[in-house]
Amino acid sequence: MTEAPPRRVVVADDDADIRALVAISAKRAGFDVVASVEDGDKAWLAIQEHVPDLVILDVAMPGMTGLEVCKLVRADARLSETPVLLLSAAVDEVSRAAGEAAGAQDYLAKPFSPRALVAWLTNEFSGEND
Amino acid sequence: MTDLYSRVMRYLSVDHPTLALKQLPVAMAFAIGIALILLVPDVIVVHELAASIGIGVMVGATVLAAIFTRVERLERYAIAIPLLDLIAIGFFRLGTGGGSSVFSALLILPVVWIAAERGRRHIIIAAVGTAVAMFLPLITVDVPSISSSDLLRGFFSPFVFAIAAAIINELSRQSRVQLESIRRLADDKEVILQRTVEFANQLQDSEAQIRAGDRLFRNVWAAVTEQSIIGSSVTGLIDNWNAGAEKLFGLSSEETEGKRYIFEFHVAAELNARSRELNYPPGETVLNPGFSALVESARLGRAESREWTYVRDDGTEVPVLLSVTKRVDDAGNTSGYLFVASDVTQSREVARLKDEFVGLISHELRTPLSSILGYLELLRDDEDNPLSDEQNHYLSVAERNAHRLLRLVGDLLFTAQVESGKFPLDSHPIELDRIVSAAVESARPVANAAGITVEQVLPDVTPWVHGDAIRLGQACDNLISNAIKFTPRGGIVTVALAAHNGSAEITVRDTGMGIAASELDQLYSRFFRASTATRNAVPGVGLGLTITKAIVTAHRGELDVESEEGVGTCFSVKLALIAAPAPV
Repeated sequence: MTEAPPRRVVVADDDADIRALVAISAKRAGFDVVASVEDGDKAWLAIQEHVPDLVILDVAMPGMTGLEVCKLVRADARLSETPVLLLSAAVDEVSRAAGEAAGAQDYLAKPFSPRALVAWLTNEFSGEND
Repeated sequence: MTDLYSRVMRYLSVDHPTLALKQLPVAMAFAIGIALILLVPDVIVVHELAASIGIGVMVGATVLAAIFTRVERLERYAIAIPLLDLIAIGFFRLGTGGGSSVFSALLILPVVWIAAERGRRHIIIAAVGTAVAMFLPLITVDVPSISSSDLLRGFFSPFVFAIAAAIINELSRQSRVQLESIRRLADDKEVILQRTVEFANQLQDSEAQIRAGDRLFRNVWAAVTEQSIIGSSVTGLIDNWNAGAEKLFGLSSEETEGKRYIFEFHVAAELNARSRELNYPPGETVLNPGFSALVESARLGRAESREWTYVRDDGTEVPVLLSVTKRVDDAGNTSGYLFVASDVTQSREVARLKDEFVGLISHELRTPLSSILGYLELLRDDEDNPLSDEQNHYLSVAERNAHRLLRLVGDLLFTAQVESGKFPLDSHPIELDRIVSAAVESARPVANAAGITVEQVLPDVTPWVHGDAIRLGQACDNLISNAIKFTPRGGIVTVALAAHNGSAEITVRDTGMGIAASELDQLYSRFFRASTATRNAVPGVGLGLTITKAIVTAHRGELDVESEEGVGTCFSVKLALIAAPAPV
């Protein structure tokens, strides 16, 4: 009986503490954080390099924004099945709609509960584990 | 000179001659008669007694006339004077020869006097008076013989005098009538003259007022340099162009008045879009459809302010807030329009910067708070190193305060959104009783800790309203948490929901410290804190009611407050009811 390899995630947020918080939550949910970067351009490079199972992006970042990276992910054939989770400090409905329009799976408003993030990650990939 | 003339004329006035004046010619003629007797040898006295009586009566009559003139109430007996004159002349005539007397002619003077008085009865008085003057001396004095010619003269003379009296009476009546009408005319003329003078004065005053008004208007018109004011005819042809318009467009009034149309200074696409909005099909109106759209509200008598874009001749655009009103003529018909515009370039820039700032705050404050709350949660959830109760308590305090800070940031952002008009409402049909119950339940822990009872009164039937459940919940939370904060231990907060007359009403009543009446109108201002709040050290920053008011207003509802210091406060929110949606 061989254990399935851990799912790989790329995390991007300009705030190092939030980045670490997301990484800790991802690890708790059984993910392997293959890249943790601080801007949109680096995020896109890392995504292309690792072709991860999940991408978690802050919306407001230097360089490309999370929404722009999300659109690139959706446009890439290799990444068509890769879900994107957006994080944002903005709370209004317009931003949520923009996230959906860019093709994000879900949208998590800051401040978020790490417990809730773990639950979301576990839930999102639970079907594939069976 | 005029004064002397008027004084003499008053004395000699034919209108109102005094009795003394009337008596004067009679007395003088009589005196001349006496003088003639004394001076002319041929004129002799034939009967001394009769002549003496005559002179005596004449003196008496003259004295009486003088008395009557002075004593006003005797004036009505004035007719006695000429009658006495007649008798005096009658005796004097008899004394100087009777029928052959040269003084018979004197009789005419009192007769004229009597006859000239007002009323035809004076003709009779004159005739009778003459007859008495003829006969009385004959009867009373002892005369040698009365000839038949004396008798005849006694009847005939009164008859002639009566005719003369009648003529004089009539002539004087006519002259009186003429005099009166002349006087009336003179009075009328006087009145008209006075009125003319008054009108002239009024006209002068009005003219001065108009000139002052005109001057004021010109000064105000010239003083408005920061707003563009343009006047146009009903077709849009510019007829007024103020200093503000000159400054905004860089064109003088000479270049525009009577030469350019207002819609030439608008972005055509904007006007067309508006005319499509108002359903003006092209060609439907004789006017430029864009112009019709521009003045639509003003034409219907409504004042309208709306953002438009002015365009200068060089193609540069200026965003303006434009108020359009109509001008009316004296008959109330629309004679044109006024376009008052303020350049909003700067205020738009300020709004943009504010939005940017709000976005920055949103990000920069929420991000560290996210870290704080996230890591606190990690600490609490660390199963490998469970925390002691004391440590857990410390964590709760840190978490509670981080949440408090987060709420404050949220409130600040929300008020900024409300101010910039970017206030999103996610409205659906909602059950108001659920919102109220949830708000009451979430407030219970705080109320219990503060020793305050929260009572809830809900209606039997669910009131449905169209609204944003989260925002309305926030409004209820704010009102209830305020009520708890401002009520001392042992107090009661009653939250009631009722539906009547097509509206749902949420009331939150407390038995707290109340709000001073003078502060009620400032209650919804940002950062306002009631004096009772600061005095009693109630925590808060003064945003809760601002937000509550904004939420209620955005739902087209009403927020009211009644309060009495030391007794309590009652806030009420009224929202329009809708029909319960059909079950799916």
